[in-house]
Amino acid sequence: MTKTYHQLVKNLLDGELALADLPPELRAEGEEALRLAGAVDRTPVALSPALDARVMATVRRHAEAPARRAWRWLAAPRQIELRLRVRPAVLAGALAAAAALVLLVSRPQAPIGAPPDVMFVRFVLHAPGAKRVTVAGTFNQWDQNAAPLVPAGTGGVWTTTLALPVGQHQYAFIVDGRRWIADPAAPAVNDGFGRRNSVVAVTTQGARTL
Amino acid sequence: MVRVLVLAAGSARGLEAQDVATRLEGRVPTSVAHAVQAIAQDAAARGLPVELLIQKALEGGAKGVPADRVIAAVRVVATQLDEARGALREAGIQAPSPQAVEGGAYALNAGLNAHQIRDLGRVSQPPYDPALTLRVAATLTALGVPAQRGLHLMTRMMHAGRPANELRDLPIEVQVGMARGATAAEAAEALDIGEDAQGQQGHQGHEGQQGEQDQPRPRKP
Repeated sequence: MTKTYHQLVKNLLDGELALADLPPELRAEGEEALRLAGAVDRTPVALSPALDARVMATVRRHAEAPARRAWRWLAAPRQIELRLRVRPAVLAGALAAAAALVLLVSRPQAPIGAPPDVMFVRFVLHAPGAKRVTVAGTFNQWDQNAAPLVPAGTGGVWTTTLALPVGQHQYAFIVDGRRWIADPAAPAVNDGFGRRNSVVAVTTQGARTL
Repeated sequence: MVRVLVLAAGSARGLEAQDVATRLEGRVPTSVAHAVQAIAQDAAARGLPVELLIQKALEGGAKGVPADRVIAAVRVVATQLDEARGALREAGIQAPSPQAVEGGAYALNAGLNAHQIRDLGRVSQPPYDPALTLRVAATLTALGVPAQRGLHLMTRMMHAGRPANELRDLPIEVQVGMARGATAAEAAEALDIGEDAQGQQGHQGHEGQQGEQDQPRPRKP
């Protein structure tokens, strides 16, 4: 049997809804999801006291370094007075060159290599008994090894959070490397091969079902 | 000048083909790669976006679908892109964006027909983007809302000047209704009734009942 969280519960996990916004019949599921997400995402990190001491020693060493003191002296603001005697023609030339430089520098540059807008989207599947669960879709060129889900606890819940570019994506889960299944909590369309693909739209406001 | 343009176009097509071949290498059988490359080249030459074609081939390869079925599915997507662009042109959008064409193909795949895409394209005048409205209509259909019901609701909202983000959130509103036990069609119908009530209230406000404009709008189901 395969079961995932209801879409509204996913919205709760994404912070789009409060527990009180859920219909009564979904609140228990919502509480369970929050508990699991809390266990997975927000486990307190205990730091050793020795680490604290090491960090502070490094900070003190850096603060006392001569190079750092010299840099502080160089970087500290001071008042200075300049008296320039220039010919008007030279001044005009210098101003023109400065203006050209400003224009050159401020010209809009193509965002070469700039990452497109991305949003973090959580995928959750309830697949008790599964040994391996991955998700593949248009966002990872349908590579079934690119995005494995990890078990959250022992209840058969598998989850992963992916950074997806803004846009519309189709996807499916792969259970144990061979069984392709659509997300039961998302709308689905015909995949052209006799199965269904789930659909998610990522907007700058978050993931949407469109 | 013409020659330069022709050379540039030829070069772009060459690059497109190379890109297709590179992306499919090792992911699909050689026969599929060659066929998809030819389909994509033809689509690119006609000014259609090719990304969905490549994605469909990659998907078929990943799912282990036999070669002939992958090629057939890619051809279907190419036909849908062509049909979507034709419908948008009929709607008066002479140069639809690649996103709008892909949205139209998605809508066709979800169950809308070309006439419905044309009608939605006609009402999707600025500030509404047909790329968005087509995706919303398609997703409503994918959720189980009858296509005509979804189009009616969306058209009414656009005529009422509703913000684009309210259109975008329609599928979520329908899912909320479904979570409360309604079918997709019932949830959409309830939203349509709510929209009707708001339209009538707005109409009464225009007739001189100024005070009513400050009244809260009826809550959507």
